[in-house]
Amino acid sequence: MAVSFSLVMVTLIIVGIYAILAIGMNMHWGDTGLLNFAHAGFFAVGAYTSAILTTEVTETGLLASRTVGFDFPIVVGMIAAPIMAGLFGLLLGITSIRLEGDYLAIVTLAGAETARLIISNEAWLTSGVQTLKNIPRPLDGSLPAFLPYDLFYFGLVLLVLLGSYVLFRHLANAPFGRVLHAIREDEDVPKALGKDTGRFKLKSFALGAAVAGLGGSLWAHYVYAIQPTMFLPNLTFSIWAMVIIGGAGSYIGAIAGAVIVTGIRQITRFLPGDIPLGNELPYLRLIVIGVLLIAVLYYRPYGMFGDKERSLAGMSGGGE
Amino acid sequence: MVVDPQFIWNGLVVGSLIALAALGLTLLFGLLNFINIAYGDYMAFGAYFALAANVGFGLPIVVSILIGAIGGGILAVVVHKFVFSKFMDRSPIVLLVVSIGMAFILRNVIRIFWSTDPQYYAVPVEEGPSLLGVTFLPEQVAIIAASLVVLGLLFLLLHRTRIGIAMRAASDDTDLARLRGIDTKRLVIYISLVGGIIAAFAGIMLGLDSNLRPNMGFIALIPIFAAVILGGIGDPTGAVIGGYVIGIGQEVSVAFIPSEYKPVVGLVLLIIGLLARPDGLFGEATR
Repeated sequence: MAVSFSLVMVTLIIVGIYAILAIGMNMHWGDTGLLNFAHAGFFAVGAYTSAILTTEVTETGLLASRTVGFDFPIVVGMIAAPIMAGLFGLLLGITSIRLEGDYLAIVTLAGAETARLIISNEAWLTSGVQTLKNIPRPLDGSLPAFLPYDLFYFGLVLLVLLGSYVLFRHLANAPFGRVLHAIREDEDVPKALGKDTGRFKLKSFALGAAVAGLGGSLWAHYVYAIQPTMFLPNLTFSIWAMVIIGGAGSYIGAIAGAVIVTGIRQITRFLPGDIPLGNELPYLRLIVIGVLLIAVLYYRPYGMFGDKERSLAGMSGGGE
Repeated sequence: MVVDPQFIWNGLVVGSLIALAALGLTLLFGLLNFINIAYGDYMAFGAYFALAANVGFGLPIVVSILIGAIGGGILAVVVHKFVFSKFMDRSPIVLLVVSIGMAFILRNVIRIFWSTDPQYYAVPVEEGPSLLGVTFLPEQVAIIAASLVVLGLLFLLLHRTRIGIAMRAASDDTDLARLRGIDTKRLVIYISLVGGIIAAFAGIMLGLDSNLRPNMGFIALIPIFAAVILGGIGDPTGAVIGGYVIGIGQEVSVAFIPSEYKPVVGLVLLIIGLLARPDGLFGEATR
């Protein structure tokens, strides 16, 4: 079985980007106990922001074509993407953050779908349901010959991942993070101590959304072309599976969860095509993820690296 | 401002579908207290069971609908017994995440057995009569009529039978119901059965209205949840009214906003509803 180098690199890049998404989700759910179901939306806003800012308007001549494009350097896109995604998170948060757990889940899910609806329909801005193409890759063509492009890009993703990991872990351990943890366990306590818990929740929401937007930017500049169907709610649910399997409240866990879930989703790429059930494999691996998610919750409610102090917020009995 | 009556008729059709699905969901939600993401996949499974009976075995559509509905009910009971019941002592949020895993499993089982291609029931395509500028398609009339029958039967069940009254009591206050001698564990099985049957029935109607796809139920979930929340969780009457409000709101909105954006209407109604009346439209607090 020939496992090609490029296939391994592609998989690692995808793992890295999903791990960045999982870090954002861990701030929401792991640290703050917020049921965010809009992650695919934040990812999409980041990807499209970056793509629109860094591409030229292309005259496809087909149907409705895009009339907005800025052709800025890629770094502008990569800075603007987390800002826009964070703003979207803030906007969604302002309308819904004070809702109780399950309600927040439904409103955020609907919010992300609304964002996808807008992306699908405002073709002048986003190319609509068609693919937004020709997104530039950083340093494409100007790398030294001995450095394969995917290896370079993986390095970039890894750098962003490490940076996000260090930053978010620091935030989680700082006084800011301790307030978030207190909100997660019992919002009345920090409130009684005079903390404006609504503000803290909004900040947590915007920060997690922003890092997801950064992931979206990395995704857009890697895959050349993006389209709305890349950002379906299933992506959000996969990220949830990563955070739960890895262990809510742990950033290492979030990364480990991303490796496991993405690994299951991508592993079949490395199998020869003519094995039995070959056609059903994509569905079988999603079933495996579902079973794994339920099994982890049953046998290891804290996940692999979960925060054991995370007693009341959801994962065990007792508190709602 | 005059709204084309066709929009209102279409709204009634969509509203019936949402109301029906929301009714089953609110029953489950009321007693079990968690958001069941797999509910949409119960709907899809029911629709595909009916497809197997209708197209696979060549049974008439009415018989197929019954088989599909009962199949959906059994599925919901099995899922509850083997999965959800193991987590009943955990928080609702754990159950929500479990239901995400369950949804992954169910949806992909459908994809394996029935492929991802859109499929259709073997029903004749007919032109509908027009009256006052409104076209009434036969399947639309059937959807509204069948939904009303199921809604009526369910209200009879909930208000006129001992088991139904027990369901409502347990939904209101599970502990109190248990104190009064209601076997709530057994009741959960009955509710799962009834909820699953209604879900499957709604899924079949959805399939009749357009076509069957493995993610059909999942896609329909957002307006259904909106209807449940708008009506006040666990309140059957509220869920039905919420369903019609959202269905008609979505279709009539086409007169004022681009039709691509009609799914947003449900979301806007939901947010307004939640912020204005956190316990639902008719809300004494249900939770």
